[in-house]
Amino acid sequence: MPGSLLVVIAYILLAVFLVVFVYRTYSIAKLPVHLRWELAPIPHEKGKSHYGGSYFEEFEWWTKPREKSLVNEATYMFQEILFLKSLWEHNRKLWWFSFPFHFGMYVLIAAGGLLVIGTVLSLLGVTDSALAGLGVVVGPVAAVGFVLGGIGAIGLLFKRMTDARLKAFTTPMGLFNLVLLLAVFATGIYSFLALDGFADNVSEFVGAVFTANTALATSGVLATHLVLALVFMAYLPFTQMMHFMAKYFTYHQVRWNDTPLQVGGKMEQEVQKLLQQPMTWSAPHINADGKKNWVDIATAEVGK
Amino acid sequence: MSATIRVEDIGKRKGEVLSPIGVEDLEPLPPPYDKIEEQPVWKELSDDVKGRTVWTLDGISALSLPQPTNEAEEKEYVDKFLAGLKKLLESENNWTFLQPLTLSLEYCVRCQTCNDACPTFTESGGKDIYRPTYRSEVWRRLVNKYVKPGGKIFSKFSDGDIDLNWTTISRLYELCYRCTMCRRCAQSCPIGVDNGLITHELRKLFSQELGWAPRELHEKGTVQHLQVGSSTGMNTEVVKDNIEFIDEDMQDVTGMDATTPWDEQDADMLLIHNAGEILAWPENPGAFAIILNAAGVKWTLASDEVAYDGVNYGLFYDDIQLARIALKHTATAKKLNVNKIVMGECGHQHKAMMTISDRILTGDMVVHKESAMTLLEEIVFSGKIKFDPSKNDFPVTMHDPCNIVRNLGIVEPQRRILRYLCPQFREMTPHGIDNYCCGGGSGFAVMSPNNFADWRISLGGRKKFRQILDAFADQPGPEVKKYVCAPCSNCKGQIRDTLNYYGALEKSGITYGGLVELIVNAMVDVKQPFIEWEMH
Repeated sequence: MPGSLLVVIAYILLAVFLVVFVYRTYSIAKLPVHLRWELAPIPHEKGKSHYGGSYFEEFEWWTKPREKSLVNEATYMFQEILFLKSLWEHNRKLWWFSFPFHFGMYVLIAAGGLLVIGTVLSLLGVTDSALAGLGVVVGPVAAVGFVLGGIGAIGLLFKRMTDARLKAFTTPMGLFNLVLLLAVFATGIYSFLALDGFADNVSEFVGAVFTANTALATSGVLATHLVLALVFMAYLPFTQMMHFMAKYFTYHQVRWNDTPLQVGGKMEQEVQKLLQQPMTWSAPHINADGKKNWVDIATAEVGK
Repeated sequence: MSATIRVEDIGKRKGEVLSPIGVEDLEPLPPPYDKIEEQPVWKELSDDVKGRTVWTLDGISALSLPQPTNEAEEKEYVDKFLAGLKKLLESENNWTFLQPLTLSLEYCVRCQTCNDACPTFTESGGKDIYRPTYRSEVWRRLVNKYVKPGGKIFSKFSDGDIDLNWTTISRLYELCYRCTMCRRCAQSCPIGVDNGLITHELRKLFSQELGWAPRELHEKGTVQHLQVGSSTGMNTEVVKDNIEFIDEDMQDVTGMDATTPWDEQDADMLLIHNAGEILAWPENPGAFAIILNAAGVKWTLASDEVAYDGVNYGLFYDDIQLARIALKHTATAKKLNVNKIVMGECGHQHKAMMTISDRILTGDMVVHKESAMTLLEEIVFSGKIKFDPSKNDFPVTMHDPCNIVRNLGIVEPQRRILRYLCPQFREMTPHGIDNYCCGGGSGFAVMSPNNFADWRISLGGRKKFRQILDAFADQPGPEVKKYVCAPCSNCKGQIRDTLNYYGALEKSGITYGGLVELIVNAMVDVKQPFIEWEMH
């Protein structure tokens, strides 16, 4: 594949990734404040989170200072994100494949991050020896990521196709996602084994993307891997694989959102605006006409 | 093992029962409840009911939904359902839960991790339709196919197929009332997807768009509550008469001051009971009165319509009905100028008032709200009342109401009381925020139409009954009297029904009651035992 084409593909696919990722994240973030729907345990409850307690356990809780532990919250998140703690606790059979699958990707993200930093440093003229050192580390690290991810993907595919419980709920898209990722991992490890200086080659590609260098020469095997990886990136934000982003909201905005409404606060102002919206639910007892707002409808004397 | 019921099957085989359920399908109970032939026989639906109502989900008719008379009527309902499906995802119509619902719509990875957290699914012997994910996936497929642009083209690939028709929506309606919304599944989800919320939102769709809701929750529930003053049907006069009778009776029995103050302006606290207590468990409001008077608390009940009943069934199926009742409760508290509202022993009242309505009531409608659990802990450990824990020297276990514990995080206050006042207190396994629902959650405890009571008790309450038996496994015989403390009216109703169903008082010596009864029973000044070893 001509280097120029590869660079252009990279721009297009990275742009798609960025735009759709930002759009989807923004579209969740801008959704209106919702009614409280917290769920124990809430890890920021200082001194209570280990058994799932909340500030409601305090006598006249509104007179007491709210004590939050961000350390507990960070610890919970760290264990959940890095080690998939809840899967370990509630679905261990799947964890044995899901953990290497996810951890492999974390390792690849780390390797990719190191590689980008090294490439940028190199482009800025920082010592070549630093880059060489990175190259030595990044290649094997990426290989570990490919192997872990591959084992996980094969395991998950196997489980989804053989476990009756999973099979009934597995969609064609779910299988396609795993196959696509498996292809990324397989071509990655193949490139690592087939090429001299895998990391250096990828670094050249990253450098070409940064500098718009269309004279890039890339081997067919690496080009295949890079295109697959970029296609995956561009495809990712269209799918439920964006759950890593959603998880921020499901935990912080829903499960752990125990902030009481404060008179005169920002949330109260937002709620008051939302209550002014007209509703159109059409069951007779609602008595909506498309003009009455939430306050009108909730405060009307009904059925007297 | 029965054949797999796939998600798309919900709209197929019209007129047939999709996934029949019977007592023989359920996980066996421990002795002496292990013989199916000795267990109550499930009620058979009459031909009349079968002809008139929908029962084709699992052979159970919880909702008595009438069968449409012709295809035009079916189409009308299907069209309304589709309109409601869209409204659930609009800010104007559903800002109240739009963000959590959207997250649960878009990001489930279908790992089925939640399945084993659900007591209904596991105790059913693994019936597919009772997976927490089954109804959610039906809804997800319907949205993705019929609401999203291009859904009819892409959804087969992204989600799998489904048909929107009368069979789908009528079975889905019944299926919404096979989940108690205990949210144990949500706790186990690695992503944070909430199948309990999806049940809640689907129930709202049916109520707010089609006008479909269980009679016990709507006509006899919120509508009666708003029209008459209480979901029990008691008006102000009747409730005051009943409380007066209870006060006198409690005073006679205990020799303690059980006077209930009414409509006291500027009281420290407005206590709101679940009015069901007044009719079914009068010793509970009586015990509250004894404790509060003995502790010298300045308290009051309110005689305003709606405000003497803490029930808010809107929580289970309808945001608007919920808001209407919450507003009435709050308006009375403001009128009386109390410092706080205290929730009686009622789980869903706690959730409806303390969290759900927290962001509906703004400006001068804000009132402090507190759980009876924390208030009682404060009183018990204040030294104002003398206790003799030896008076409670019998085996006691605690059922954790989901709405108080898992949903509000009020875990320890009630336990500290029991550890102090009940020498033989023991926990269920699991307990606290990992508890299992009693089986009466989300309104089930007051629903017994057709053959639903058999399902609700045999299957819905099965895990809890098993837990209760396990907790007392060291003294299983009827000669040792045992007490299940359930500080929630709905839970008590369900546990009463379960214990009666199996004859557990006679066979195992197990009865049940609230928390305040144990507190009064341990009071030094109460000369007679307050707890009666009988089924109420």
